[in-house]
Amino acid sequence: MQRRDSSQRPERPQRNTRGHWPLWLWRSAAVVAVLSTVVLGATLRAQPRAAADRVSSLIPSGQPLETYGSSSAPITMVVFTDYECPSCRALYENTLRPMINDYVASGKVYLVHHNFPLPQHKYGYEAARWVYASARVGEFANAEAALYDNQDAWAASGDIAKYVSAAMPAPEFRKVEQLMKGCSFSDAPGTCPLDSVINADRALGEEIPVRATPTYVIVYKGRRLPAASGAVSWPILKQFFDSLLSQ
Amino acid sequence: MSVLGAALNWLAEWGFIFVVAGAIAAFCVRGSARRRSLVRVLLVVGSIVIGSIFLAAAYGKLKPLPGFPWSWASLKTSIALFAIQVESYNLLSSSAANTVAHILPFAELFLGLWLITGIWRRYSSLVACLAFAGFMIAIFSAYRRGLKIDCGCGVGPAEQAGPGALLRDGLRFLLPSLIVCTGAFWIRKQSALSPAATEAPESAAPASQ
Repeated sequence: MQRRDSSQRPERPQRNTRGHWPLWLWRSAAVVAVLSTVVLGATLRAQPRAAADRVSSLIPSGQPLETYGSSSAPITMVVFTDYECPSCRALYENTLRPMINDYVASGKVYLVHHNFPLPQHKYGYEAARWVYASARVGEFANAEAALYDNQDAWAASGDIAKYVSAAMPAPEFRKVEQLMKGCSFSDAPGTCPLDSVINADRALGEEIPVRATPTYVIVYKGRRLPAASGAVSWPILKQFFDSLLSQ
Repeated sequence: MSVLGAALNWLAEWGFIFVVAGAIAAFCVRGSARRRSLVRVLLVVGSIVIGSIFLAAAYGKLKPLPGFPWSWASLKTSIALFAIQVESYNLLSSSAANTVAHILPFAELFLGLWLITGIWRRYSSLVACLAFAGFMIAIFSAYRRGLKIDCGCGVGPAEQAGPGALLRDGLRFLLPSLIVCTGAFWIRKQSALSPAATEAPESAAPASQ
Protein backbone atom coordinates (compact mmCIF):
# COMPACT_ATOMS: atom_id res chain seq x y z
CA MET A 1 0.00 0.00 0.00
CA GLN A 2 2.77 2.36 0.92
CA ARG A 3 4.72 1.47 -2.21
CA ARG A 4 1.70 2.21 -4.40
CA ASP A 5 1.14 5.64 -2.74
CA SER A 6 4.68 6.73 -3.25
CA SER A 7 4.65 5.69 -6.90
CA GLN A 8 1.49 7.70 -7.46
CA ARG A 9 3.13 10.93 -6.27
CA PRO A 10 6.73 10.80 -7.43
CA GLU A 11 6.97 14.57 -7.93
CA ARG A 12 6.10 15.34 -4.33
CA PRO A 13 9.37 15.44 -2.42
CA GLN A 14 9.20 14.07 1.08
CA ARG A 15 11.18 16.88 2.67
CA ASN A 16 8.53 19.37 1.70
CA THR A 17 6.00 17.66 3.87
CA ARG A 18 8.09 15.87 6.46
CA GLY A 19 10.97 17.03 8.55
CA HIS A 20 10.47 20.63 7.42
CA TRP A 21 8.47 22.16 10.22
CA PRO A 22 10.54 20.56 12.97
CA LEU A 23 13.71 22.10 11.47
CA TRP A 24 12.59 25.71 11.73
CA LEU A 25 10.76 25.00 14.92
CA TRP A 26 13.90 23.69 16.52
CA ARG A 27 15.92 26.63 15.26
CA SER A 28 13.36 29.11 16.58
CA ALA A 29 13.31 27.38 19.93
CA ALA A 30 17.12 27.42 20.07
CA VAL A 31 17.27 31.14 19.31
CA VAL A 32 14.60 31.97 21.90
CA ALA A 33 16.31 29.75 24.49
CA VAL A 34 19.72 31.33 23.95
CA LEU A 35 18.32 34.86 24.07
CA SER A 36 16.22 34.12 27.16
CA THR A 37 19.23 32.66 28.97
CA VAL A 38 21.42 35.62 28.11
CA VAL A 39 18.77 38.20 29.08
CA LEU A 40 17.94 36.39 32.32
CA GLY A 41 21.61 35.99 33.26
CA ALA A 42 22.38 39.61 32.49
CA THR A 43 19.40 40.82 34.51
CA LEU A 44 20.46 38.81 37.54
CA ARG A 45 24.06 39.95 37.28
CA ALA A 46 23.29 43.57 36.48
CA GLN A 47 25.08 45.99 38.75
CA PRO A 48 25.10 49.75 38.48
CA ARG A 49 28.27 50.80 36.76
CA ALA A 50 30.31 53.85 37.52
CA ALA A 51 29.71 56.75 35.21
CA ALA A 52 32.16 56.63 32.35
CA ASP A 53 32.36 60.34 31.95
CA ARG A 54 33.13 62.92 34.54
CA VAL A 55 30.90 65.93 34.63
CA SER A 56 32.76 68.39 36.80
CA SER A 57 33.98 70.49 33.88
CA LEU A 58 30.46 70.85 32.48
CA ILE A 59 28.90 72.31 35.58
CA PRO A 60 30.42 75.57 36.72
CA SER A 61 31.60 75.72 40.29
CA GLY A 62 31.82 78.81 42.52
CA GLN A 63 29.26 81.41 41.59
CA PRO A 64 27.73 80.31 38.30
CA LEU A 65 26.24 83.15 36.30
CA GLU A 66 24.50 81.77 33.24
CA THR A 67 22.30 79.22 34.96
CA TYR A 68 18.70 78.67 35.98
CA GLY A 69 17.54 76.87 39.11
CA SER A 70 19.28 75.09 41.92
CA SER A 71 22.52 73.17 41.47
CA SER A 72 21.15 70.53 43.86
CA ALA A 73 18.46 69.47 41.35
CA PRO A 74 18.71 65.78 40.39
CA ILE A 75 18.91 66.58 36.66
CA THR A 76 21.34 69.05 35.13
CA MET A 77 20.90 70.10 31.53
CA VAL A 78 23.95 71.75 29.99
CA VAL A 79 23.17 73.63 26.78
CA PHE A 80 25.64 74.99 24.23
CA THR A 81 24.06 77.69 22.10
CA ASP A 82 24.69 80.58 19.77
CA TYR A 83 22.30 83.50 20.24
CA GLU A 84 22.08 84.12 16.50
CA CYS A 85 21.24 80.51 15.63
CA PRO A 86 17.56 80.01 14.67
CA SER A 87 17.51 76.43 16.02
CA CYS A 88 18.77 77.72 19.36
CA ARG A 89 15.94 80.23 19.43
CA ALA A 90 13.45 77.46 18.65
CA LEU A 91 14.90 75.34 21.45
CA TYR A 92 14.67 78.25 23.86
CA GLU A 93 11.16 79.36 22.90
CA ASN A 94 9.56 75.93 22.55
CA THR A 95 11.43 73.83 25.07
CA LEU A 96 13.64 75.68 27.52
CA ARG A 97 11.17 78.42 28.38
CA PRO A 98 8.39 76.01 29.43
CA MET A 99 11.02 73.89 31.16
CA ILE A 100 12.29 76.89 33.15
CA ASN A 101 8.75 77.70 34.23
CA ASP A 102 7.99 74.10 35.17
CA TYR A 103 10.82 71.71 36.06
CA VAL A 104 13.46 74.34 36.85
CA ALA A 105 11.02 76.25 39.06
CA SER A 106 10.07 73.07 40.91
CA GLY A 107 13.71 72.14 41.57
CA LYS A 108 13.85 69.10 39.29
CA VAL A 109 16.23 70.53 36.69
CA TYR A 110 19.28 72.76 36.84
CA LEU A 111 19.86 74.49 33.51
CA VAL A 112 23.39 75.56 32.64
CA HIS A 113 24.15 77.69 29.62
CA HIS A 114 27.45 77.67 27.75
CA ASN A 115 28.29 79.94 24.83
CA PHE A 116 29.21 78.39 21.52
CA PRO A 117 29.09 81.28 19.02
CA LEU A 118 29.52 80.02 15.48
CA PRO A 119 31.88 81.86 13.11
CA GLN A 120 29.25 82.11 10.35
CA HIS A 121 27.03 84.27 12.57
CA LYS A 122 28.14 87.89 12.37
CA TYR A 123 26.82 89.07 15.72
CA GLY A 124 26.71 85.78 17.63
CA TYR A 125 29.95 86.39 19.51
CA GLU A 126 29.01 89.95 20.48
CA ALA A 127 25.58 88.78 21.64
CA ALA A 128 27.33 86.25 23.88
CA ARG A 129 29.37 89.11 25.37
CA TRP A 130 26.25 91.19 26.06
CA VAL A 131 24.50 88.29 27.74
CA TYR A 132 27.54 87.39 29.83
CA ALA A 133 27.91 91.04 30.90
CA SER A 134 24.21 91.02 31.82
CA ALA A 135 24.75 87.84 33.81
CA ARG A 136 27.50 89.59 35.75
CA VAL A 137 24.91 92.10 37.02
CA GLY A 138 22.26 89.41 37.66
CA GLU A 139 20.19 89.99 34.52
CA PHE A 140 21.04 86.83 32.58
CA ALA A 141 17.49 85.54 32.21
CA ASN A 142 16.11 88.88 31.00
CA ALA A 143 18.92 89.47 28.53
CA GLU A 144 18.74 85.96 27.10
CA ALA A 145 14.95 86.18 26.67
CA ALA A 146 15.24 89.60 25.01
CA LEU A 147 17.86 88.43 22.53
CA TYR A 148 15.97 85.29 21.53
CA ASP A 149 12.65 87.14 21.30
CA ASN A 150 14.17 89.77 18.98
CA GLN A 151 16.72 87.62 17.17
CA ASP A 152 15.65 88.55 13.66
CA ALA A 153 15.82 92.29 14.42
CA TRP A 154 19.27 92.51 16.00
CA ALA A 155 20.73 89.86 13.68
CA ALA A 156 19.81 92.20 10.79
CA SER A 157 20.82 95.51 12.36
CA GLY A 158 23.52 94.47 14.82
CA ASP A 159 21.97 96.73 17.45
CA ILE A 160 22.08 94.30 20.36
CA ALA A 161 22.33 97.03 23.00
CA LYS A 162 18.86 98.28 22.14
CA TYR A 163 17.20 95.01 23.14
CA VAL A 164 19.44 94.37 26.14
CA SER A 165 18.71 97.84 27.51
CA ALA A 166 14.97 97.30 27.14
CA ALA A 167 15.18 94.06 29.10
CA MET A 168 16.48 95.51 32.40
CA PRO A 169 16.31 98.62 34.59
CA ALA A 170 18.48 101.56 33.49
CA PRO A 171 20.97 101.38 36.41
CA GLU A 172 21.64 97.73 35.64
CA PHE A 173 22.11 98.46 31.97
CA ARG A 174 24.67 101.18 32.81
CA LYS A 175 26.67 98.54 34.71
CA VAL A 176 26.43 96.23 31.69
CA GLU A 177 27.69 99.01 29.45
CA GLN A 178 30.67 99.51 31.76
CA LEU A 179 31.50 95.84 31.48
CA MET A 180 31.16 96.00 27.72
CA LYS A 181 33.87 98.66 27.30
CA GLY A 182 36.25 97.41 24.65
CA CYS A 183 33.77 94.70 23.65
CA SER A 184 31.69 96.31 20.93
CA PHE A 185 31.72 95.04 17.36
CA SER A 186 34.02 97.82 16.17
CA ASP A 187 36.62 97.29 18.90
CA ALA A 188 39.81 95.42 18.12
CA PRO A 189 39.77 91.68 18.82
CA GLY A 190 41.35 90.60 22.09
CA THR A 191 40.49 93.83 23.93
CA CYS A 192 37.34 92.54 25.59
CA PRO A 193 37.85 91.20 29.12
CA LEU A 194 34.74 88.99 28.77
CA ASP A 195 36.20 86.96 25.91
CA SER A 196 38.15 84.60 28.12
CA VAL A 197 34.90 83.20 29.54
CA ILE A 198 33.29 82.80 26.11
CA ASN A 199 36.43 81.19 24.69
CA ALA A 200 36.58 78.82 27.66
CA ASP A 201 32.96 77.83 26.97
CA ARG A 202 33.77 77.20 23.34
CA ALA A 203 36.83 75.13 24.22
CA LEU A 204 34.66 73.04 26.55
CA GLY A 205 32.15 72.59 23.74
CA GLU A 206 34.85 71.36 21.41
CA GLU A 207 35.73 68.68 23.96
CA ILE A 208 32.15 67.36 24.02
CA PRO A 209 32.29 67.64 20.94
CA VAL A 210 29.70 70.19 19.84
CA ARG A 211 29.20 69.78 16.08
CA ALA A 212 26.16 72.01 15.79
CA THR A 213 24.08 74.30 17.92
CA PRO A 214 22.12 73.73 20.00
CA THR A 215 23.83 70.79 21.64
CA TYR A 216 22.84 69.64 25.10
CA VAL A 217 24.21 67.23 27.64
CA ILE A 218 22.05 65.82 30.40
CA VAL A 219 23.56 64.82 33.72
CA TYR A 220 21.53 62.75 36.14
CA LYS A 221 22.86 62.23 39.65
CA GLY A 222 26.44 62.63 38.45
CA ARG A 223 26.02 60.37 35.40
CA ARG A 224 26.62 62.11 32.14
CA LEU A 225 24.43 60.95 29.26
CA PRO A 226 25.45 61.14 25.59
CA ALA A 227 25.29 64.62 24.06
CA ALA A 228 22.40 65.34 21.72
CA SER A 229 21.77 68.11 19.27
CA GLY A 230 18.86 69.50 17.33
CA ALA A 231 15.28 70.19 18.12
CA VAL A 232 13.41 68.53 20.94
CA SER A 233 9.95 69.47 22.10
CA TRP A 234 9.13 70.01 25.73
CA PRO A 235 6.63 67.09 25.97
CA ILE A 236 9.27 64.64 24.67
CA LEU A 237 12.02 66.06 26.90
CA LYS A 238 9.67 66.09 29.88
CA GLN A 239 8.86 62.43 29.27
CA PHE A 240 12.57 61.65 29.33
CA PHE A 241 13.08 63.63 32.54
CA ASP A 242 10.12 61.88 34.16
CA SER A 243 11.54 58.48 33.26
CA LEU A 244 14.92 59.50 34.69
CA LEU A 245 13.34 60.76 37.90
CA SER A 246 11.43 57.49 38.28
CA GLN A 247 14.65 55.43 38.31
CA MET B 1 24.56 41.32 28.05
CA SER B 2 27.33 43.57 26.84
CA VAL B 3 29.01 40.45 25.37
CA LEU B 4 25.84 39.68 23.45
CA GLY B 5 25.64 43.29 22.32
CA ALA B 6 29.27 43.24 21.19
CA ALA B 7 28.75 39.96 19.31
CA LEU B 8 25.63 41.24 17.60
CA ASN B 9 27.34 44.50 16.73
CA TRP B 10 30.32 42.67 15.26
CA LEU B 11 28.10 40.43 13.16
CA ALA B 12 25.98 43.42 12.12
CA GLU B 13 29.01 45.44 11.10
CA TRP B 14 31.10 42.78 9.38
CA GLY B 15 28.63 40.04 8.40
CA PHE B 16 28.03 41.72 5.05
CA ILE B 17 31.46 40.44 3.94
CA PHE B 18 30.28 36.82 4.22
CA VAL B 19 27.06 37.59 2.36
CA VAL B 20 28.77 39.48 -0.45
CA ALA B 21 31.46 36.77 -0.75
CA GLY B 22 28.74 34.11 -0.85
CA ALA B 23 26.85 35.99 -3.54
CA ILE B 24 29.98 36.30 -5.67
CA ALA B 25 30.68 32.59 -5.21
CA ALA B 26 27.11 31.73 -6.20
CA PHE B 27 27.53 33.74 -9.39
CA CYS B 28 30.83 32.06 -10.21
CA VAL B 29 29.98 28.45 -9.43
CA ARG B 30 29.11 26.17 -12.36
CA GLY B 31 26.10 23.90 -12.39
CA SER B 32 22.62 24.84 -11.29
CA ALA B 33 22.43 22.20 -8.54
CA ARG B 34 25.64 23.40 -6.93
CA ARG B 35 24.52 27.00 -7.29
CA ARG B 36 21.22 26.21 -5.61
CA SER B 37 23.02 24.52 -2.75
CA LEU B 38 25.33 27.48 -2.35
CA VAL B 39 22.46 29.96 -2.44
CA ARG B 40 20.65 27.96 0.24
CA VAL B 41 23.69 28.22 2.51
CA LEU B 42 24.00 31.90 1.62
CA LEU B 43 20.36 32.46 2.57
CA VAL B 44 20.84 30.89 6.00
CA VAL B 45 24.03 32.88 6.68
CA GLY B 46 22.56 36.06 5.22
CA SER B 47 19.40 35.78 7.29
CA ILE B 48 21.48 35.41 10.44
CA VAL B 49 23.57 38.44 9.48
CA ILE B 50 20.59 40.66 8.69
CA GLY B 51 18.74 39.36 11.72
CA SER B 52 21.76 40.31 13.83
CA ILE B 53 21.65 43.84 12.41
CA PHE B 54 18.08 44.27 13.59
CA LEU B 55 18.75 42.61 16.94
CA ALA B 56 21.81 44.84 17.44
CA ALA B 57 19.76 47.91 16.51
CA ALA B 58 17.00 46.94 18.95
CA TYR B 59 19.58 46.20 21.66
CA GLY B 60 21.26 49.57 21.05
CA LYS B 61 17.95 51.36 21.49
CA LEU B 62 16.70 49.40 24.50
CA LYS B 63 19.90 48.92 26.50
CA PRO B 64 20.16 50.94 29.71
CA LEU B 65 22.00 54.24 29.69
CA PRO B 66 25.57 54.11 31.01
CA GLY B 67 25.56 53.44 34.74
CA PHE B 68 22.01 52.08 34.89
CA PRO B 69 21.10 48.40 35.42
CA TRP B 70 18.60 46.53 33.24
CA SER B 71 15.11 47.19 34.59
CA TRP B 72 11.67 48.19 33.42
CA ALA B 73 12.40 51.80 34.40
CA SER B 74 15.68 51.82 32.46
CA LEU B 75 13.86 50.41 29.43
CA LYS B 76 11.38 53.29 29.59
CA THR B 77 14.24 55.76 29.90
CA SER B 78 16.02 54.31 26.87
CA ILE B 79 12.82 54.52 24.83
CA ALA B 80 12.29 58.11 25.99
CA LEU B 81 15.83 58.95 24.90
CA PHE B 82 15.20 57.30 21.54
CA ALA B 83 12.07 59.45 21.17
CA ILE B 84 14.33 62.50 21.43
CA GLN B 85 16.50 61.09 18.63
CA VAL B 86 13.49 60.35 16.43
CA GLU B 87 12.12 63.85 16.98
CA SER B 88 15.47 65.43 16.13
CA TYR B 89 14.94 64.32 12.50
CA ASN B 90 12.14 66.92 12.27
CA LEU B 91 10.07 64.58 10.14
CA LEU B 92 7.29 63.75 12.57
CA SER B 93 5.17 65.53 15.12
CA SER B 94 6.01 65.02 18.79
CA SER B 95 3.27 62.46 19.32
CA ALA B 96 4.14 60.56 16.12
CA ALA B 97 7.85 60.54 17.05
CA ASN B 98 6.93 59.21 20.46
CA THR B 99 4.79 56.46 18.94
CA VAL B 100 7.56 55.48 16.52
CA ALA B 101 10.08 55.40 19.37
CA HIS B 102 7.85 53.04 21.33
CA ILE B 103 7.20 50.70 18.39
CA LEU B 104 10.40 50.66 16.32
CA PRO B 105 12.79 48.89 18.76
CA PHE B 106 10.30 46.07 19.31
CA ALA B 107 9.56 45.86 15.58
CA GLU B 108 13.31 45.51 14.99
CA LEU B 109 13.51 42.83 17.65
CA PHE B 110 10.66 40.94 16.01
CA LEU B 111 12.12 41.34 12.53
CA GLY B 112 15.54 40.18 13.72
CA LEU B 113 14.09 37.02 15.25
CA TRP B 114 11.89 36.44 12.21
CA LEU B 115 14.91 36.63 9.91
CA ILE B 116 17.01 34.30 12.03
CA THR B 117 14.29 31.68 12.27
CA GLY B 118 14.01 31.70 8.49
CA ILE B 119 10.23 31.52 8.41
CA TRP B 120 8.93 32.95 5.13
CA ARG B 121 12.40 34.23 4.38
CA ARG B 122 11.36 35.96 1.16
CA TYR B 123 8.96 38.20 2.99
CA SER B 124 11.16 38.85 6.02
CA SER B 125 14.09 39.86 3.80
CA LEU B 126 11.77 42.03 1.71
CA VAL B 127 10.56 43.79 4.87
CA ALA B 128 14.21 44.21 5.92
CA CYS B 129 15.05 45.84 2.55
CA LEU B 130 12.11 48.22 2.89
CA ALA B 131 13.07 49.07 6.47
CA PHE B 132 16.67 49.84 5.53
CA ALA B 133 15.52 51.89 2.55
CA GLY B 134 13.22 53.86 4.86
CA PHE B 135 16.03 54.51 7.35
CA MET B 136 18.32 55.66 4.56
CA ILE B 137 15.69 58.04 3.19
CA ALA B 138 15.28 59.55 6.68
CA ILE B 139 19.06 59.98 7.06
CA PHE B 140 19.38 61.48 3.58
CA SER B 141 16.54 63.87 4.31
CA ALA B 142 18.20 65.02 7.55
CA TYR B 143 21.49 65.48 5.71
CA ARG B 144 19.84 67.46 2.91
CA ARG B 145 18.25 69.78 5.45
CA GLY B 146 21.61 70.40 7.10
CA LEU B 147 20.70 68.73 10.39
CA LYS B 148 23.76 67.63 12.32
CA ILE B 149 22.16 65.00 14.48
CA ASP B 150 23.02 61.55 15.75
CA CYS B 151 21.54 59.04 13.31
CA GLY B 152 20.15 57.05 16.26
CA CYS B 153 20.79 53.82 14.38
CA GLY B 154 21.71 51.83 17.48
CA VAL B 155 24.32 49.75 15.63
CA GLY B 156 28.00 50.46 16.24
CA PRO B 157 29.32 53.75 17.56
CA ALA B 158 27.15 56.87 17.44
CA GLU B 159 27.30 58.37 13.98
CA GLN B 160 26.11 61.66 12.59
CA ALA B 161 23.35 61.50 9.99
CA GLY B 162 25.25 62.09 6.76
CA PRO B 163 27.23 60.42 3.98
CA GLY B 164 29.09 58.15 6.43
CA ALA B 165 25.87 56.77 7.88
CA LEU B 166 24.37 56.42 4.38
CA LEU B 167 27.41 54.53 3.11
CA ARG B 168 27.37 52.23 6.13
CA ASP B 169 23.65 51.53 5.83
CA GLY B 170 23.90 50.99 2.09
CA LEU B 171 26.95 48.74 2.07
CA ARG B 172 26.63 46.85 5.32
CA PHE B 173 22.88 46.65 5.76
CA LEU B 174 20.91 47.21 2.54
CA LEU B 175 23.25 45.32 0.20
CA PRO B 176 23.18 42.00 2.13
CA SER B 177 19.41 42.38 2.56
CA LEU B 178 18.97 42.80 -1.19
CA ILE B 179 21.19 39.77 -1.82
CA VAL B 180 19.21 37.60 0.58
CA CYS B 181 15.88 38.87 -0.75
CA THR B 182 16.90 38.24 -4.36
CA GLY B 183 18.29 34.82 -3.45
CA ALA B 184 15.16 33.82 -1.57
CA PHE B 185 12.89 34.75 -4.48
CA TRP B 186 15.29 33.07 -6.94
CA ILE B 187 15.26 29.83 -4.98
CA ARG B 188 11.48 29.95 -4.84
CA LYS B 189 11.30 30.48 -8.60
CA GLN B 190 13.74 27.64 -9.21
CA SER B 191 11.67 25.39 -7.00
CA ALA B 192 8.54 26.24 -8.93
CA LEU B 193 10.23 25.62 -12.29
CA SER B 194 11.89 22.39 -11.27
CA PRO B 195 10.18 20.38 -8.53
CA ALA B 196 13.35 18.32 -8.08
CA ALA B 197 15.04 21.44 -6.89
CA THR B 198 12.85 21.40 -3.81
CA GLU B 199 14.73 18.40 -2.52
CA ALA B 200 16.30 20.68 0.01
CA PRO B 201 13.78 23.48 0.13
CA GLU B 202 14.14 26.88 1.67
CA SER B 203 14.32 25.77 5.23
CA ALA B 204 11.46 27.65 6.79
CA ALA B 205 9.01 27.99 3.96
CA PRO B 206 5.98 25.81 4.66
CA ALA B 207 5.07 23.36 1.91
CA SER B 208 1.69 24.98 1.44
CA GLN B 209 3.12 28.26 0.17
